[in-house]
Amino acid sequence: MALPNPALNEIPGGYKYGWHDEEKPLQIFQKGLNAEIVAKISAVKDEPKWMTDLRLKAYRHFEARPMPTWGGDLSEIDFQDIYYYVTGTDKAVQSWDDVPEYIRRTYDKLGIPEAEKKYLAGVGGQYDSEVVYHNIREDLEKQGVIFLGTDQALKEHPELFREHFGTVIPANDNKLAALNTAVWSGGSFIYVPKGVHVELPLQAYFRINTQNMGQFERTLIIADEGSSVHYVEGCTAPTYSTASLHSAVVEIIVKKGARVRYTTIQNWSSNVYNLVTKRAVAHEDAVMEWVDGNLGSKLTMKYPSIYLLGERAHGEVLSIAFAGDGQHQDAGGKIIHAAPNTTSLITSKSISKGTGRTSYRGLVKVYPGCEKSKSTVRCDALILDDDARSDTYPYMEIDEDDVTIGHEATVSKVGSEQLFYLMSRGLSEAEASAMIVNGFIEPIVKELPMEYAVEMNRLIQLQMEGAVG
Amino acid sequence: MTLTQPSTALDAETIARIGELSDEPDWLCNLRQRWWERATQTPPPTGQEEEWRRTSLDALPRDASLLTDAPLLETHLPADAAEAGVILTDLRTAVREHPELVAKHLGVSDGPASHGHFWALAHAAWTGGLFCHVPRGVSVDGTLVARHVIPRSDVAYHPVSLVIAEEGSSVTLLEEIVSPDGGSAGWFGGISDVRAGRDARVRYATLQQLGDAAWRIGAERVVVGPDATVTTLNAEIGSAVTKLGLDVVMDGKGGTSKVLGLLAAGDDQQIDINTVQDLAADHTTSDLLYLSALYDRAHASFYGITNVRHGTRQTSSYQECRNLLLSPQAGAEPIPVLEIEANDILRCGHGATAGAIDPTTLFYAQTRGLSADEAERMIVRGFFEQVVAQISDETIRSRIIDALAVRIGTDSSDEVAA
Repeated sequence: MALPNPALNEIPGGYKYGWHDEEKPLQIFQKGLNAEIVAKISAVKDEPKWMTDLRLKAYRHFEARPMPTWGGDLSEIDFQDIYYYVTGTDKAVQSWDDVPEYIRRTYDKLGIPEAEKKYLAGVGGQYDSEVVYHNIREDLEKQGVIFLGTDQALKEHPELFREHFGTVIPANDNKLAALNTAVWSGGSFIYVPKGVHVELPLQAYFRINTQNMGQFERTLIIADEGSSVHYVEGCTAPTYSTASLHSAVVEIIVKKGARVRYTTIQNWSSNVYNLVTKRAVAHEDAVMEWVDGNLGSKLTMKYPSIYLLGERAHGEVLSIAFAGDGQHQDAGGKIIHAAPNTTSLITSKSISKGTGRTSYRGLVKVYPGCEKSKSTVRCDALILDDDARSDTYPYMEIDEDDVTIGHEATVSKVGSEQLFYLMSRGLSEAEASAMIVNGFIEPIVKELPMEYAVEMNRLIQLQMEGAVG
Repeated sequence: MTLTQPSTALDAETIARIGELSDEPDWLCNLRQRWWERATQTPPPTGQEEEWRRTSLDALPRDASLLTDAPLLETHLPADAAEAGVILTDLRTAVREHPELVAKHLGVSDGPASHGHFWALAHAAWTGGLFCHVPRGVSVDGTLVARHVIPRSDVAYHPVSLVIAEEGSSVTLLEEIVSPDGGSAGWFGGISDVRAGRDARVRYATLQQLGDAAWRIGAERVVVGPDATVTTLNAEIGSAVTKLGLDVVMDGKGGTSKVLGLLAAGDDQQIDINTVQDLAADHTTSDLLYLSALYDRAHASFYGITNVRHGTRQTSSYQECRNLLLSPQAGAEPIPVLEIEANDILRCGHGATAGAIDPTTLFYAQTRGLSADEAERMIVRGFFEQVVAQISDETIRSRIIDALAVRIGTDSSDEVAA
């Protein structure tokens, strides 16, 4: 994701965040992974013993588990050819002027500080392994809202941290979550106290700068009873010839009556493997919403999930995927109905272009006794070119009769009549196609905050340029 | 009669003995041996395969004695059809009376990939089956009926059904499978190989009413030729466990298929069906509709793939799986998958639902004077009507309705009306 910056709009076509800063890390650990590297990451962060032990335990889980054989092609990932810890700064700062100059330049290019001034309640920025900048508005801080880099939160709020960390996604959940637990660094930690409503979004911005870098941020959000918060994250990386790995874990706890929305605009460069585990638990009367836009990366495998644990909890996943040449977006959502009267909605819109492939992969599960649960899944796919591909894998496991569960999907192409009509109104074929695509994703884009919606449409337009003819 | 002692799992020797016992021609003995090798080279599913994750074969009665003499195959072939050269007989008789025709068609194609082992096993170990052949240009009026009557519950039986409709022919065939309830578990491993030639019209219905201890591990492959139209219907009523793999191959330009399924399951029945609609040629159409009514602790799984092949033009397809859950312990896992590798598609989509009867509908029916049970029966019949109404053949429709009534129940008023 990037925020609108008029200067950048001059750049014609293509991936506009593909530049890289000269790599000037303060600290860089050798490539590859073993228990020593894991212990060293923990040591350099001066962590309590329980975290070191958890990391080492997770590393053993990571080693023991096979690579997933479903989803995308993971065969080219070489875990020993990745840097697991790279940092250009030794601590997160709160004043923009204190951020190291070359990193600041990057964020200036991406438009972060202006956005914060105008619009956001707080911003965090992560550069390779470490959070470099974190700030939150004073009034929120006074109300007890915590918005910190995850490492900092472990130091400053050890009890709150330990009580929740790893409770939603345990260390042995899956191979990549185990990897993240072993080597995590950075990410955001948010705590919203009872009854507090954070009106403006909190934002974090993730940037991979180093070649062959693995970014493993870890985000934990706790919305206490009756509170609400909207968190937005964006990500970019330089276009290197060799692949990078982004493997984050995001855990969200939405307590009774609380509401959390988590918006991602993923725009990694097309050499990044984006393998992310995101999961939320929603308690009684809570509302959890994932808004997940995937435009970048070589391969994304990400299925934000929601466990509806309390009565009347509601979960929504809005997913947009755009796969251009050589990209595979394997995205979707999972909803687990584990309490009566819970409701959920998954809406997926995917577009594949060139040799791109989009796959919707989802699960709706209803446990016995969760009567009066309702779930609707709606997937629409648009295939723009002959060599593009679209898949839909909607899993459903229904073990309760008194429920209403439905799934529907369509796959279509851009209609020649639609194109003809728009072109007769004076649009070029590319403009007309882009307009149709924008209309196709509109139901999701309108859920985004204004500036992000504008940016999303621009990103789609960039992807679409030269799409036809 | 069964091949008794030692009544162990199938082996090469048993396969050879099957041929010897019936004095089969060499080509057939060789064919069996070749398929037996295939069966040993294609290992049985491990449970890790996507199609086999929802049915465990741990309790499959692999040691059940093989039924060697073909059980009764009752056939009904209208006289004028016989005169026109239509063949409808058990496979053994066909081997004796039409060896060239059988040799041309038997065991020449691979079945559904998910059931490769069982497809090979049936071709090696069949001891009965059906041969239906409709010559070129022949239209059969009326309904052909073939009924496999398996006399015992505790046997293994792997019949092969071959249904060949030559170019420009037209036929309607109902195949029924019955075995007694109770007793120890048996293994019904029947497979169907259905081929519709250019411009042929085929309506092929299978009504499965196996006994309540039976395992049905079956496979069906339907090939739809250019401009041919095929409607298949699988009505799965009986068995303890059913795991059916169905492939519909649309590799002839302009072909059309309608793939229908009806499941009425209760007690502890587990019905698991995986399908592939393979749209491999231009201007092909394939629509699938599976309906399940699930009582007691019954569980239905459906894993269907619509694959639109790369480079195809103007295909249309739909996949729909609806589940009515009639008991708190019933469960359903409908999984309709799309793998779309072409963009010039006319229409492509799928839908799946699971849920109980809408309480408002039930309430409304009761306000019209029906008891809760009567209202439920009426609503279930109405639910099945989406498929039943598409069965144009009167014989098949009434047989299917009767079979469903065993599970749904009948109303006293119906009996009076009848």
